[in-house]
Amino acid sequence: MHDIRVSGEDILARQLALAEQNYRRLRAKGIRAVSVMGAIGSGKTSLIERLIDRAATSGRRVGTIAGDSAGDDDHRRFTDRGASSVNLNTQDDCHLDAHAVEHALERLPLDELDLLFIENVGNLICPADFPLGTDVEVVVISVTEGNDMVRKHPKIFAQTDVVVINKIDLAEAVGVDPARIVADYSVLNPHGDAFLTDARHDRGIDEVARALGIECTSTQW
Amino acid sequence: MHEYSVVAELISALVPKLDAHTGTVRAVFLRKGELRILSDRALCSAFEVLREGTRLAGATLEIESVPATVRCTACGYGGAAESYVDEAFHIAVPILACPRCGEEVAVVTGRELVVERVSIEETGNEERPRCRSSGGD
Repeated sequence: MHDIRVSGEDILARQLALAEQNYRRLRAKGIRAVSVMGAIGSGKTSLIERLIDRAATSGRRVGTIAGDSAGDDDHRRFTDRGASSVNLNTQDDCHLDAHAVEHALERLPLDELDLLFIENVGNLICPADFPLGTDVEVVVISVTEGNDMVRKHPKIFAQTDVVVINKIDLAEAVGVDPARIVADYSVLNPHGDAFLTDARHDRGIDEVARALGIECTSTQW
Repeated sequence: MHEYSVVAELISALVPKLDAHTGTVRAVFLRKGELRILSDRALCSAFEVLREGTRLAGATLEIESVPATVRCTACGYGGAAESYVDEAFHIAVPILACPRCGEEVAVVTGRELVVERVSIEETGNEERPRCRSSGGD
């Protein structure tokens, strides 16, 4: 038995290179891109709808990539909101990847867009290792996922810079204290930003918009 | 189960590099950064399925965890990241803030996923060994 050295290219290098390529392409078009991750039912789509509204009121042209394992429900919601949307079904794959996003970008009118939201498949864990080439990554969680949501996924939240805790209108009904979720997150990620929202009733959205670089009242990004 | 797509990538990248070597591959050593959200058990399980029919059919996947190290952009600290330990959850999570001054840091190691070494036996048999990992997830 003997050991041989093999050239040590990172296994995810191809994914990282494709993500970098997407990033440069979007940057060259002047498009700010936001990746939205989170479990099924956390409120990713509702949050994006609200952010589309905010962007639209300040004249931003918005594109979306609606990632789902099947169906076009989210895609239609974005289109109804006035976004240029591409539906991206992963055929049961548990996450988007930079390659799928590259092809989705081909189908978007990039010259006409200022802002792009990419909604990942409803799955908190699997997307974490697959960057897509966006400027910002945000994880949405719902208070209905429980007080210990952050503590149950510590490695993910330790590396997530923006967390939106949604459905706070339901917190009391499900016996969850959003402040505890925020406290857990600030231990794991001292430099992260946490926001409390009720996307359905349009509360807390402006603060998220600002954190994601979607200033609604300014002409500057 | 994104481990399957990761292992598929590992195998398709590694196999062509073995063309110049004869013999039976007995072990593939994978260095996995502790910041990666990948289960060792699922990686091994995927490897046992996907190695069939390839040059790696007689190999185990040996996973070595690479600790997170960071560099502080404010005070210049370079070294191990501090870990948040919660014994109730059996976890130790690297914190991406400077252990010395608390400011933001750049990750130096801890995100790699790389095969740098394989073990080859000159005359092999058809045994299908079980995979092993260094523990944890």
